[in-house]
Amino acid sequence: MESALTIEKLNKSYDGTPVLRDLNLDVPAANIFGLIGPNGAGKSTVIGILTGLLARDSGRVLLNGMELNSRNELAIKREIATVLQPPLLFESFTCYEFLTYVCEMYDIRDRELNDRINSLLTWFEIEQFIYVKVRKLSSGSRKKLAFCAAVLTRPQILFLDEPFESVDVISIGRMKTVLRKMKERGSTIFITSHILEVVENLCDDIAILHEGKIAAYLDAESRKELQKEESLSEIFERYLDVKNRGEDQLGWL
Amino acid sequence: MIARLIYLNWKLFLSRLSRFQTLLIAGYALFLLVLLFNLMGTALVIIFLDSSPQYQIDLPWLTEEIHQLILLTFANVFWLLHFSFTSTRLLNIEENRKLLAFGYPAGKLAWHLNLMTLYHPVNVIYNLTWLIFLAVQVSSVWNIPVLVAVVLLNYGVIFSIKHRFLQMVERRFRIVVFSILFVLLGSATLMAVISRQALSWMNGITLQISEITELLYYLPGGLIYWSATYEHSVQLTLVIFGFTLILTLLIFRDHYYKTLEGLLSPDIRVIREHVSRLWAFLRRWLGPNAGKYIYHVMTHPYNRLQVIAIVLIPIVYIPLLLYLDYSEISNILIPTILAALPVALLAMGGANMFGYENREFLLHMQFPISFEQQLKERFLGAVTIPLFIFYAITIFEILRFPFLGEVLEIYIANTFFFLCFMMVFLWSSFYQFQRVSYSTFSFKHPIIPQKVTFTITFAIFVLGYTVFVPLGSYQSYRLYVMLFLIAALGTYLWKNFSILVDLYRSKILGQLWNQL
Repeated sequence: MESALTIEKLNKSYDGTPVLRDLNLDVPAANIFGLIGPNGAGKSTVIGILTGLLARDSGRVLLNGMELNSRNELAIKREIATVLQPPLLFESFTCYEFLTYVCEMYDIRDRELNDRINSLLTWFEIEQFIYVKVRKLSSGSRKKLAFCAAVLTRPQILFLDEPFESVDVISIGRMKTVLRKMKERGSTIFITSHILEVVENLCDDIAILHEGKIAAYLDAESRKELQKEESLSEIFERYLDVKNRGEDQLGWL
Repeated sequence: MIARLIYLNWKLFLSRLSRFQTLLIAGYALFLLVLLFNLMGTALVIIFLDSSPQYQIDLPWLTEEIHQLILLTFANVFWLLHFSFTSTRLLNIEENRKLLAFGYPAGKLAWHLNLMTLYHPVNVIYNLTWLIFLAVQVSSVWNIPVLVAVVLLNYGVIFSIKHRFLQMVERRFRIVVFSILFVLLGSATLMAVISRQALSWMNGITLQISEITELLYYLPGGLIYWSATYEHSVQLTLVIFGFTLILTLLIFRDHYYKTLEGLLSPDIRVIREHVSRLWAFLRRWLGPNAGKYIYHVMTHPYNRLQVIAIVLIPIVYIPLLLYLDYSEISNILIPTILAALPVALLAMGGANMFGYENREFLLHMQFPISFEQQLKERFLGAVTIPLFIFYAITIFEILRFPFLGEVLEIYIANTFFFLCFMMVFLWSSFYQFQRVSYSTFSFKHPIIPQKVTFTITFAIFVLGYTVFVPLGSYQSYRLYVMLFLIAALGTYLWKNFSILVDLYRSKILGQLWNQL
């Protein structure tokens, strides 16, 4: 199967503390992929490197067959979009100004742009904020707006860092619908999360990131087999080698 | 139920206040008390002005006609004052709408919200003052139901007018502001003309008191006053009462339906191209990158105040320096102040170039546009407007203050001044980066770090004295030195200009990423 994303021997450290250690990963195209791991596992760092926001110490990254380097940087950026946690938005713009600005940067000047904006905002029930300054939005609405902006650019690879954090249940359902439609169109979705339930029903393949390495890669087939006998959280705990941290000490509770 | 609604709105109001604002509530309550006593006291004093024998001795000019004029003037002024205190925002539709989800019947909520607004202390004070002002002067007991209905109708009318006026202001802010300014200027001119011919004008007015009184009767305040003082048959009173009551019911019915509509249909607007004019202009003029950046700079509340200060300082000081004629000192201070103007503007946009957009840069870095281009455009955008001002001031100095020196001298000195500060600002943008806060008058999080502000202030005076002190025959040497330094600074800036992205990645990016 064709790969949307390939990572080879990726290393990254902060002030001498290694965060990613010889990380290898291969994500097939047209896949909803979930990278899960405990807090501090390095999930956001992986997204930061893949989107060009963080420099890597060593290693090779291929996105849609193109190596991530200064020569291919713009071509790659044209094919990807990212929603970080917390989302990145232009605070002094109204939602409409923000969305049109992002589209302008991607050179999207369709006549149907307004219709697309309208349909997305209505779908996420934030159409009433269209002329409201971004800085006045609630955290849930901010997340949904950032998601709309990323989707509007119709990326080949969409990176989502904790996409469902502070979003209500109905909107999570709607975001999932959009992601499935994008997958049907051939896009690859790369999701990082520490909440297993979020990725369990949505993702095809799942990788567990632990101490800067991929502890396990479960494709759809192997997941199905494993999950016959144990839940995803049990699998997660098994791979993370979670130890008893002394529950008996919490007797005072 | 309405008591709970009022309590809920009161809690909501309090929750939005800062601790300091909450403390101010006590002051506000005191203000309301003073307002009540003031209004009521003024009304009663005016009414009983002619009944006191002492007043008749002290104010011999107070004839019955003039007393009538004073009462009508008060009624009309009071009517106008009522506008300034009746807030239509008290309904707080957006928040109260949520009660519908908890089973509050929509019709009842709309009605209760209107009642709640009527019960607001300010409205109570005004309506109570109206009632007492009118009730004390009733001609007969039959006037009482009429005046009560009129006061309620008046409240409803004021509420409607103000609501529509505010809607108009929101849509056509500039036209309204300019119209008000126009009216104010017109009034001031009129006052000035009148004050020059005060005596003849006063004589004229005395002759026309009856006409003025008649006119005041037909103004809103006069009509309300008339409702308490007219003398007619009972039948006619019943007709007036019935008519006023119908009008009152109709206007409150209108309020009710408007509130209900507001509750049930949130403000859904049709999507169309709608962008702020300033942003649209800057995007066209400077492009999307520099335009966006300058838009941030120009819309920051603190910068707006800074611009006023920058404009005011030379307007005040330069004429003063010219008037006092301190020759030598003026010859240094005037060009220093003028040269500092574009520098101050440059400081706004250039001294903390990454602080305004802050984390937004992370999104900019993901756009399929060279980040180097994005940064360079911003830098040039920050320089463009100060550069315009720089040229305008240099030309102004050459034309208006030829005593400051030769054309070339002024030009070279100003260029040197400007370049030195460009250096300082480039340094501070990368090495003194800090997030710009959006609270006005914030000394805790200023736009430009205090270290840089101090450096700028110090450098302006040092450079002012170095560059503008007349050196007589040694002047040419200084020009050569400045030309050499301009070339050196220019080369250094040009070189650094090409490594903006590297500097950004090494000095700024890490700080932004850590904010995530």
